[in-house]
Amino acid sequence: MLPQLTKKTITENPKKLASLIDLANLPSTLRDFVGQSQISRLRCFMHVWSYIKANNLQDPNNKNVVNCDEKLSKILLGKSQVELVELPMLVKLHFPKEPK
Amino acid sequence: MGKLPPSMRSANPLTSFRTPSSSSLPNQQTPSSNPPHRPHFSLFKKHPNKSSKPSSSSRKTLTPSPQIPTPKPIFKSPSLSSAKKTFDSLISTSHFPLNVRHHNALLKSFSQISNIEDSFSFLQHMVKTHPSFSPDRVTYNILLTQSCKSLSNEGDVDLSIVRKAIDLMVINGIQPDHVSIDLAIRSLCDIGCEEHAVELMNEMSLKYCLPDTYTYNLLIRRLCKVRPLPTVYRFIDEMKTLGVKPDLVSYTILIDNVCKSKNLREATRLLGVLSEAGFKPDCFVYNTIMKGYCMLDRGSEVIGVYKQMKEEGVEPDLVTYNTLIFGLSKVGRVEEARKFLEVMADMGHSPDAVTYTSLMNGMCKKGDALGALALLRKMEENGCSPNSCTYNTLLQGLCKGKLLEKGIEFYEIMKSSETKLEASSYATFVRALCREDKIAEAYEVFDYAVESKSLTDVAAYSTLETTLKWAKKVKEQRQAC
Repeated sequence: MLPQLTKKTITENPKKLASLIDLANLPSTLRDFVGQSQISRLRCFMHVWSYIKANNLQDPNNKNVVNCDEKLSKILLGKSQVELVELPMLVKLHFPKEPK
Repeated sequence: MGKLPPSMRSANPLTSFRTPSSSSLPNQQTPSSNPPHRPHFSLFKKHPNKSSKPSSSSRKTLTPSPQIPTPKPIFKSPSLSSAKKTFDSLISTSHFPLNVRHHNALLKSFSQISNIEDSFSFLQHMVKTHPSFSPDRVTYNILLTQSCKSLSNEGDVDLSIVRKAIDLMVINGIQPDHVSIDLAIRSLCDIGCEEHAVELMNEMSLKYCLPDTYTYNLLIRRLCKVRPLPTVYRFIDEMKTLGVKPDLVSYTILIDNVCKSKNLREATRLLGVLSEAGFKPDCFVYNTIMKGYCMLDRGSEVIGVYKQMKEEGVEPDLVTYNTLIFGLSKVGRVEEARKFLEVMADMGHSPDAVTYTSLMNGMCKKGDALGALALLRKMEENGCSPNSCTYNTLLQGLCKGKLLEKGIEFYEIMKSSETKLEASSYATFVRALCREDKIAEAYEVFDYAVESKSLTDVAAYSTLETTLKWAKKVKEQRQAC
């Protein structure tokens, strides 16, 4: 069941998949953060999320909110606080759609 | 000679006719890794002790002997000349006469790392330098198998090398038998050359000997996967003219295949054909047809098949009941399905995890997640432990039934037992969490799904992303109100 489903998502929308796993050249701000010049959107998200976990940046009172440190704030539009709900969108901002 | 058969039996083609690939592997491959050492060891032990048992059992279990350190592959390079040298030095240094088994093992291990042409030459060399070695059936079967396998490496598939192997066999006075056919067909099917397998089977059936039913059914099963149905029928007709008739297993394979393509009408026709051919449908045939109806959500027909079985006097087995309960649960006839739980217990079949999970699935679909939980308790009381499918079904049911608290509890149980999440239950659970604004928990579930390798990173993330997008929208709408 599982492989079928994964396969389905891949065949269903190859463009969407490509936008997730294709390597993209990073802007300088992000390059400093991840320490690589190229990364996929998926890996970038994982990187940001593990950074949040590693540095205990989730608000102790409301786990759904992240209190950004200076480094994180730089790549997330300079916000001091972001909600976990919007994290994928904020990461996505660094990966603009390629013009056709 | 009296002692030899037990050890010979492993290399004897007769044992390999059922599952040549599996039965021939351990015996023929192991010598390949250390052909000179192992026979040396076993023979050495065999002669003084006069007992063949320990040596043959040690060979069967494949336990490396304590006296011999890790065996090294005898042939290090695929080059023919170095293999010849190795062989010559083996012969001159050997403390005991090599028998045909050793030669076969050597040939096999060489042919596995080398190409087929060199393998032919190597055999020639062995016969020439060691005239006491007379190649037997196994020898030629090794070459035949390797020649079939060698086809995959070439872009242009051509059976001539296989024919060469067969001809060599015939010239040396050995008629290819059903084992040779089986080995060849299986090797060809393994590398995806079904069309050539058909060609070869026709050719060999005409010239030498008919395939046995195992080979025949194997090929039918493979053909069903790669060919359209009419051409499979044509193959069956062709084989009929040669004298190989389909048996009940062949028909079951065909019925299963048409059921998978949702062609139940053809399945019913085949049922008639097999009765005409003088076969009485058995439990497997009925189970297959019942499964076909389950796929199509035709509950009444599922029960119809069950009734027909009863009328025909075919004893339903555990699979029948599981299929029946699965099918009825799937179409929402849970109450009826539950009744069969008792029926099957009366018939002496104790329900297993599959039975219970099917039922729970049906109950969850009806929105009775609590009932499904109660069934889980009953199941555990009956000494049947739930599997990952059970857990996933229940987790999904609880989330859908707005029982998120229980769902989270359940998730913790799953996590502690390292049960993997299925894609659908993962998606449902994440969505339910986000609905209750438990975003951090949803992230935690995402982490677990990735860590436990339940889903691929891509699948897990894209689900999370879509769900978060949806949750954000819902939140904004709520604020706007």
